[in-house]
Amino acid sequence: MKVTLFATCIVDLFQSNVGKATVELLERLGCEVEFPPSQVCCGQPAYNSGYVKEAKEAMKRMIETFEHAEYIVSPSGSCAFMFREYPHVFKGDPVWEPRAQKLADKTYELTQFIVEVLGIEDVGARFEGNVTYHTSCHMTRLLGVKEPPMILLKNVKGLKFTELPGKERCCGFGGTFSVKNVAISEQMVDEKVHHVEETGAQYLVGADAACLMNIGGRMERLGKPIKVLHIAEVLNSR
Amino acid sequence: MAMKISTEKFNDRVEQGIHDSFMRGAVAGAQDGMGVKRRVVTTDELSNWEDWRNHAEEIRQHVLANLDYYLEQLSENIAQRGGHVFFAQTKEEANEYIRGVVQRKKAKKIVKSKSMVTEEISLNAMLEEEGCEVVETDLGEYILQLDDHDPPSHIVVPALHKNKEQIRDVFAQKIGYTKTSTPEELAYHARVTLREKFLEADLGITGCNFAVAETGSFCLVTNEGNADLVTALPKTQITVMGMERLVPTFEEMEVLVSMLTRSAVGQKLTSYITVLTGPREELDVDGPEEFHLVIVDNGRSDILGTEFQSILQCIRCGACINVCPVYRHIGGHSYGSIYPGPVGAVLSPLLGGYDDFKELPYASTLCGACTEVCPVKIPLHQLLHKHRQVIVEKEGKAPFSEKMLMKAFGLGAASPALYNMGSKMAPVAMNPFTVGDKISKGPGPLKAWTEIREFPAPNKERFRDWFKNREKGGE
Amino acid sequence: MAKIGTIHNRDSFLNKISKSLNRPRLTGPIPRPEWKYQPQHEVFKGASPDELLDIMKVHCQKIHTNLYETDLKGLPDVLNEVVEGYGGGPVVISKDERFSEWGLDSLLKKEWPSRDMAVFEWDYTLGDENVRRAEQANVGITISEITLAESATVVLFSDKDHGRTINFLPATSIMLIPKSTLVPRFTQAAVKMREIHQQTGRVASCINFITGPSNSADIELNLVVGVHGPIKASYIVIHDL
Repeated sequence: MKVTLFATCIVDLFQSNVGKATVELLERLGCEVEFPPSQVCCGQPAYNSGYVKEAKEAMKRMIETFEHAEYIVSPSGSCAFMFREYPHVFKGDPVWEPRAQKLADKTYELTQFIVEVLGIEDVGARFEGNVTYHTSCHMTRLLGVKEPPMILLKNVKGLKFTELPGKERCCGFGGTFSVKNVAISEQMVDEKVHHVEETGAQYLVGADAACLMNIGGRMERLGKPIKVLHIAEVLNSR
Repeated sequence: MAMKISTEKFNDRVEQGIHDSFMRGAVAGAQDGMGVKRRVVTTDELSNWEDWRNHAEEIRQHVLANLDYYLEQLSENIAQRGGHVFFAQTKEEANEYIRGVVQRKKAKKIVKSKSMVTEEISLNAMLEEEGCEVVETDLGEYILQLDDHDPPSHIVVPALHKNKEQIRDVFAQKIGYTKTSTPEELAYHARVTLREKFLEADLGITGCNFAVAETGSFCLVTNEGNADLVTALPKTQITVMGMERLVPTFEEMEVLVSMLTRSAVGQKLTSYITVLTGPREELDVDGPEEFHLVIVDNGRSDILGTEFQSILQCIRCGACINVCPVYRHIGGHSYGSIYPGPVGAVLSPLLGGYDDFKELPYASTLCGACTEVCPVKIPLHQLLHKHRQVIVEKEGKAPFSEKMLMKAFGLGAASPALYNMGSKMAPVAMNPFTVGDKISKGPGPLKAWTEIREFPAPNKERFRDWFKNREKGGE
Repeated sequence: MAKIGTIHNRDSFLNKISKSLNRPRLTGPIPRPEWKYQPQHEVFKGASPDELLDIMKVHCQKIHTNLYETDLKGLPDVLNEVVEGYGGGPVVISKDERFSEWGLDSLLKKEWPSRDMAVFEWDYTLGDENVRRAEQANVGITISEITLAESATVVLFSDKDHGRTINFLPATSIMLIPKSTLVPRFTQAAVKMREIHQQTGRVASCINFITGPSNSADIELNLVVGVHGPIKASYIVIHDL
């Protein structure tokens, strides 16, 4: 099966290890992975801040880049949701709305793709450690992907799982919110860090690099010894 | 009290909220407790909760689409029953009409049950100007009123930000209370004090949860029973409703009341749901002899027909407030409006203007928790996003630096060549700020980020470079 | 027939609405919509009266309300017991022939008065005196017309003989519930209310849905039972009615 990787700009620039793990994992599961180098950012930062005109330019480039794909897979629930949102953004546009719709229809978040499209629930991973999991808001509420990461983590050998208290609550990232309302964001992320600590986990795992950058950045600043991992990295360990 | 409850800047209000540890504990406790109760009576108990939400939504949408018809039907039926109906385009018109009734009836002692719309139109200020004694009879509202009109911080639990010791002090200072701070004793004292007020009042004022067009009725939803005494004892009654708060028949009223009580307080029904139609009947002993309904627009019709119309579906349950992670940490007063939380962040700029409330749409991570629980399916986080778009595109109220940044984003993100060059340069550009693999004191937009968190240094080898090299290596 | 009321400022107000909605004013009757969703009719569909009673009993525990069960024969004793448990009179009742039909005359008119428990029967000819009596009463007794099992709610319709304040001013409240009045939930009551309106053209000026005693959680979210309305409430379900 041919998979076109939408790596996201955060992964491209700051978390290349997540991108590598995603590629290796998908290949191990029998996919042929391509990465179109003309991909840029999905437009979400500008879009969510209200700069729709600016965002649309980025979105058009992304549509052009990805429309040839059979399946588009992204290691980020939030960015995958942005693709799914494109048809609404271009609503009424005779050229771009149908193209956006086609793109949206074949876009998947990584764990969703593995469970729902590949039909695999056990990726054959082994990971020794005590893990808790942050369910990102966009991935669960907007994209509607709740079960797949849980199913995949449950089948990782050696992994001990503890549920995160208040897991449905936002970590305080919210894109530009994290810098625009830093005082509020700080309170939110501190509550999240507190809950992560409560679990006694050694690893905080998530499926959205942005949330992880927020929680991880705060834990690092506070000197917490908890390590942050993207779910692709856990699923890629053997 | 008008809609705007503070003259301080948004950030200052937020700072105060964040440092009010009692309030924060109360809000977090309320959110957690209410969350469990709400889940039990919604998704746990009703396996088809989504159908309930869909039904509630279709009722509200139908009413808004046919609002002029239903309001006409409502007013006809009220008049048939001997009630008087006044349509008030503005808050001034509403207040003037009510002033006229007060003067004609020579009313001096007024009891009120909880109503957000009367807060919105600053009704109490007018009544006090007229020399009336106005008593709020909802326990929470009564506490706030005694405390020199402290603003409400929650639309269902208005005094949520106060602890019982503060309440005891207010009672001691204002109504000669001498007992302890146990809620039972405080509430009993309020019962005894307010009972007198009910019995001597010559005018009762209520809000309206839902009016029923087909019969000219309206209903009131409480747990305390105060609205029942407000509407049973005084000889004159005035009910004030926001113009969108109606349903076609009792059958739709039932559905929305059920959605309201479950979503607001996690109860199947509250203790008292009261359906009132017109003044008392000829031989009745209690109930008002004269009944007035004041239907208020106050900016609502300007929302109709716009992309914000769905906010008028709101039934004021406060479920969005009870799940909002931002409200959780800053409390109601930070919003600077009588309508806090997600609903307030959408509604306040629409009814009160962007000048006073432009920060509110940004006080959200767009996490969607509000949208998920809304019983009438208002896409709250999407409306917050629409506000941002309006602020940027139509109002031009976004900061200059942000505009420049976003313009650069537009250029950079839209052009693969520019993106490629810029991102390749990133590690070099960030080099002066990088220690090890992290940035602790970032420049420009990173400054605010690194005030509280580390930021990762850009990878020396971008993912795309790794991928390209790997392909070349023929793996 | 009561006199007709007045309507002010209606046309300009409604015209503004139709303008915002970008269409002409709607005037003619619009048909009742065919709703796509109707989940409310599915709740406890087909439940028997006994099942409904069980549902109600369970919920009574959550609303701080005692539920007693009896047949007509035992009713006077149960009612006497509950009133005494509340500390006796004064008692206020609505004017309703059913009290007599259900064999309560002796208790209400002889036994209690002879034990110095005043019983006041609502009498509209006495005007405001009724309200004064209700305010002084320790117990108010009324009869449920429709009873909602799901929420353990009684429904009362006001008129000249059934004053509104009987249920609100006395310190405690007792509702007599004929078992046959049980319906699954609010839905059936709403349908019934519409039927009454359609058949008679009238609606009671006040319809109360009462679920247990009054309460408030306004102080630190602590539930306080008994605020403005009754402090305590009991239901007496009568099986053979």
